[in-house]
Amino acid sequence: MVRTFLDHGWKKWTRSVSFTKEMATTIFLGVVTLMIAAYLLAFGFFLPTLLKDALNQADPIGFLHRLLIYYFLFDFVFRYLLQSVPVVEIRPYLHLPIKRSGIIHFLLGRSLFHPLNVFVLLLLGPMAFMTVAPEQGMVVALCWIGGFWLIAFAIHFLVMLFKVKLDDTLWGIILLVTVFSGLGLADYYGWFKLSDVSKLIFDNALAGPSFLAGCFALVALIYGIAFLIFRNSIYADEVPGQDKKQYGYGDFTFLRSLGSMGEWINLELKLILRNKRPRTLLFLSAFFLLYGMIFYPNPMYTEEMPGFLLFVGIFVTGVFMINYGQYLYSWQSSHFDFTLTKPVSLREVVNSKYWLLGAVSVICFLLTIPYVFFGWHIVLTNAAMLFFNLGVNAFIIMNLAMWSPKKIDMTKGGAFNIQGVGAAQWVMGLPIFLGPYVFYLPLSLMGYPLAGTLLVGFVGLLGIMFRPWLLNMTARRLQQRKHVIAEGFRKD
Amino acid sequence: MITIQSLKKAYKGVTVVDVPELKIQFNESVGVVGNNGAGKTTLFRMILDLIRPNEGSVMINDVNVQGNDSWKQIVGSFLDEGFLIPYLTPDEYFRFVGRLHNYSPEDFKNFYAKFEDFFQGEIAGKKKYISDLSKGNLKKVGIAAAFMGNPQLVMLDEPFENLDPTSQIKLKNLLNRERQERSVTYLISSHDLNHVTEICNKIIIVEKGKVIRELDGQENMLAELEAYFKA
Repeated sequence: MVRTFLDHGWKKWTRSVSFTKEMATTIFLGVVTLMIAAYLLAFGFFLPTLLKDALNQADPIGFLHRLLIYYFLFDFVFRYLLQSVPVVEIRPYLHLPIKRSGIIHFLLGRSLFHPLNVFVLLLLGPMAFMTVAPEQGMVVALCWIGGFWLIAFAIHFLVMLFKVKLDDTLWGIILLVTVFSGLGLADYYGWFKLSDVSKLIFDNALAGPSFLAGCFALVALIYGIAFLIFRNSIYADEVPGQDKKQYGYGDFTFLRSLGSMGEWINLELKLILRNKRPRTLLFLSAFFLLYGMIFYPNPMYTEEMPGFLLFVGIFVTGVFMINYGQYLYSWQSSHFDFTLTKPVSLREVVNSKYWLLGAVSVICFLLTIPYVFFGWHIVLTNAAMLFFNLGVNAFIIMNLAMWSPKKIDMTKGGAFNIQGVGAAQWVMGLPIFLGPYVFYLPLSLMGYPLAGTLLVGFVGLLGIMFRPWLLNMTARRLQQRKHVIAEGFRKD
Repeated sequence: MITIQSLKKAYKGVTVVDVPELKIQFNESVGVVGNNGAGKTTLFRMILDLIRPNEGSVMINDVNVQGNDSWKQIVGSFLDEGFLIPYLTPDEYFRFVGRLHNYSPEDFKNFYAKFEDFFQGEIAGKKKYISDLSKGNLKKVGIAAAFMGNPQLVMLDEPFENLDPTSQIKLKNLLNRERQERSVTYLISSHDLNHVTEICNKIIIVEKGKVIRELDGQENMLAELEAYFKA
């Protein structure tokens, strides 16, 4: 049975239409994962030295135990963002004479094969043998690291439970992060010592086999709960992890007065607000407005490498335009035929998309005005970059997004979803972020950085002035490519 | 209404559609029948400029559909779920399509009145997104929307598929009533020979992308069709 499932899973992957295209992405992700694993292992070997010599801890194990609760909390949040609930794909098996519980045991068991579940071994494994084993003996060390591995499994299943119960919304995680950052601050200022609690709990990790048994019981308990919940909710119509629907929101009636263009913008706003993936993008964009906080307070960036502010400006004012725009046509892949057969010209469609991207960028810019606190030149730079985004980058994005866009299944979740990624998405970043420097660098190298920034803004203004012409050109290209794009969207 | 000239489409050397000439007059009701893989949907998509033909052209009212948008005002179509917007409720979808045809509140009222019986209380005013509707109700939404803007040409691909028996009869009546009240051209594909002969006064049999035969208003169309497909 298990072999059949594995076989089907393999066939599903190798026989999918986009197999060769996904291969590149998969290999890339694999390499990135291996790199992260290597870094973690290196850090794991370095950890004993770090704790003992660099941080001058007489009791490195005890100190580690103080921090462990934060590590596991971080692990939880990280998994919440990365891990998916593996249920939807079992539908074809539900009506066959296969034991329901067998399917679920298989699903839950297979989900354990996730790189995240090895990370704790890489990170703490070296410590177990270099520090714990010499002090406490090999048995204790093995139980110590084994117990932590089991705790990672417990978190793995706990995250799944959480995701099923919370419907995969971002609010749950935002709440968690807020609460735990609060606890962390309280710890730092000494109001409430979560690290003491952590030490109290994890000092038991040195108890040897009984600790291992305790951890095992914990995993078994959480696995049992997960098993029961999954078994009870495996009916085709109530597959866990699906969006609970609310109705009728996201209708901006004032846009109707703008005529056909307003209707299309209104439609796209509904698309963004009512589907999980673009909605997540919107939240992330709001979050990335704070990106400036990393750079602006730091004189290294503002004074020594002022050119870097251009990058920040492009990013902060254009984050939504870039993230949403790279899949500009894929978002509507499920009803692209609709767009093509209804009485609307592609010029109007392109125009409505431009205004949507532009309006959000302007809003982003307005929200970054408080950064004036760090100097007026930041607002000036951002304004220039806003112009560049509106006049140049918007058109680069709208045109590059036409480069064999892929279908996006809007029912799939948001974070770290790579569906729809193609060649265009890899290349797009280059012109968007390097473009401004083509105009900025010559003047900056001659000693006129301010003039360089102004020139970038001026180029953007030119683009905005020639907007009708650029929009016509974009619409013409879409007209030429629409058959190919529609064809691609009709395939899976 | 529709003039097709030497229209050809091939995928990887296999000819899917090959129609040297086909004319459909205004106010005709044309049924397209043919077994699976005959090229019906591909033909429909080329008429709607969704697929670029390798050769030939499609004219609607003497306007080439390729490179023009004006014909979209007078053509209503529903081929598949790609013509629906999954994240809207049916009412929002109708409102959106209606606005594209400059519908007034009065027009909307007439629209809902016309389709009230066909909807059987399951579509209008329901708080459900189109993505959550059953196959039958999806069909109903798409068909109704294809009639918005009182189009001169209505194109439907398998409109009876997935409809329950009551709805099938209602749809048949609706299609016939519409043609009694005003002049409208139909282009309808179907696997149900009974339905298609009851609605259409002309039937085109396609096979392997070619128009094999045109049956024109004969009394015994059904018998002829059955004889053809038995062989």
